[in-house]
Amino acid sequence: MAEAKSLRERRFYPVLFMIIITVIFVGLLATFYQLTRERVEAHRQMVLKTTILQLFELPTVDLQSTYDAYIQEKMLDGRPYYAAMDGDSLIGYCLPISGSGLWSTIHAMVAVSPQLDRIRKIEILEQNETPGLGGRITEEWFTGQFAGKMLVQSGTAVLFELITEDEPAGPMQINQITGATASSKAVVDMLYKEMSGFQQTLIQGAAQ
Amino acid sequence: MTKKEIFINSAFKENAIWSQILGICSALAVTNLMMNSLVMGLGVIFTLALSSSTISLIRDLIPKRVRMMVQTLIIASYVIIVDLILKAYMPQMSKALGPYIGLIITNCIIMGRAEAFAGKNPPLDSMIDGIGAGVGYTVVLMVIATIRELFGFGSLFGIQILGEWFTRWSIMVMAPSAFFVLAVLIWIIHGPIAAKVGK
Repeated sequence: MAEAKSLRERRFYPVLFMIIITVIFVGLLATFYQLTRERVEAHRQMVLKTTILQLFELPTVDLQSTYDAYIQEKMLDGRPYYAAMDGDSLIGYCLPISGSGLWSTIHAMVAVSPQLDRIRKIEILEQNETPGLGGRITEEWFTGQFAGKMLVQSGTAVLFELITEDEPAGPMQINQITGATASSKAVVDMLYKEMSGFQQTLIQGAAQ
Repeated sequence: MTKKEIFINSAFKENAIWSQILGICSALAVTNLMMNSLVMGLGVIFTLALSSSTISLIRDLIPKRVRMMVQTLIIASYVIIVDLILKAYMPQMSKALGPYIGLIITNCIIMGRAEAFAGKNPPLDSMIDGIGAGVGYTVVLMVIATIRELFGFGSLFGIQILGEWFTRWSIMVMAPSAFFVLAVLIWIIHGPIAAKVGK
C-alpha cells in the first residue's frame, strides 16, 4: 500500500519540512536586515563622525558639514586614520585602535597631536568588559586621564604605569579601576602597542 | 483551563526560575542593573509570545524527530529580529545590552515552553502561556536586580539612592552574588511562602 502513504509519512518529509521552514525564516530575517540596514549603518557613521569631531573638540551640531570641512580620511597599510585640518594647518591625527580586553576586543579612537607625541583625547567605542567593573573604562574619569599625556619620552614610546584608584598620578601613570585591573591594563597596553606601530609606519612613510 | 489560569500557572505556579530552575544562566548574567534586567525581560516575553504561538500554529506539521531543530530555528529568528529592531531604533539600549540579547536564543525557558506547552496546545493559549512564563521570569530578574543594584551601586534604575557614605559591595556586581541572592529567594519561596499559600 505504498501509494496510500501521505506526504507526511514519507521518509523525506522531515528534510523537505526543514528546507521549507529554513527558507521562510531566513527570508524573513533577510527582509528585516534589509529594512534596518540603512538605519543601522547611518547610525554607525554618525557615531563615528561625532566621536572624531569630539576628540578634536570641534562642534557637532552641523555634523556632516563640519566633518567635511575639517576631517580628511586617509589610509595607512590598509587601516583608516583621520587627519583634522584647520585650513592648511594640521590640528592632529585620529586613529582607531583595538586590543584584547578581559572578555572580548576593545575598540577605541585616539586623537594625537600633529607630532604624534601627545594624546589629545581617547574614547572607547566598543567593549564587552564586566558591567560595573571593567565596563567603567568608558567613563570620562578614566579616559580623561589620558588627555594631554606624552606618548613619547626621550625618543621612546611610553607604557603608562598603573597605580591604584586614589593615588595621585604622575605624567607617566594612570589610575586603574578598582576591581578591573585586567581591563585597565588592556587599554594601556593597546594604546602602547598600536601607537608605537602607527608612529613608526607614519614616520617611515614620511621619510620615503 | 481558562486563559487566566494558563497565565497564572505558567507565571507563578510553574515559574521557570523558582520552580523549574530554568533560565538561571541569564538570571545570573544580567541582574546587576535593573534596566538591563527589564529590557532582557521584555525581550524574553516578546520572543516567548511569538515563538510559542508560531510553534503551536505549525505543531501538527512539525515532524517529531526534528522538532527541536525547528524550535531552535524559529526562536533564533525572533531573537535576531529583536536584536535588529533594537540596533536600528534604540541604538543606546542595544549598546547597553550588547551580547545579552543574542543570548535569549539559549534561554532554556523558551524551548522549555515550546516543548511543554506550545507543541500540544492551540496558538492563543500558547501565546498566553509564553507571556506568562516571560512575566514570571522578568519578576524574578527584577527582584534580584533590585537587591544587586542597590547594594552593588547604591542605585535603582541608575538613580543614586544611597549617599556617599555607602561603601559599594563589589561582590554584588559580580556573578557569584546572583547565586546567593537567587538561592535565598528560592528558599524563601519554597519555605515560608509555600507554607502560607499551601503549595
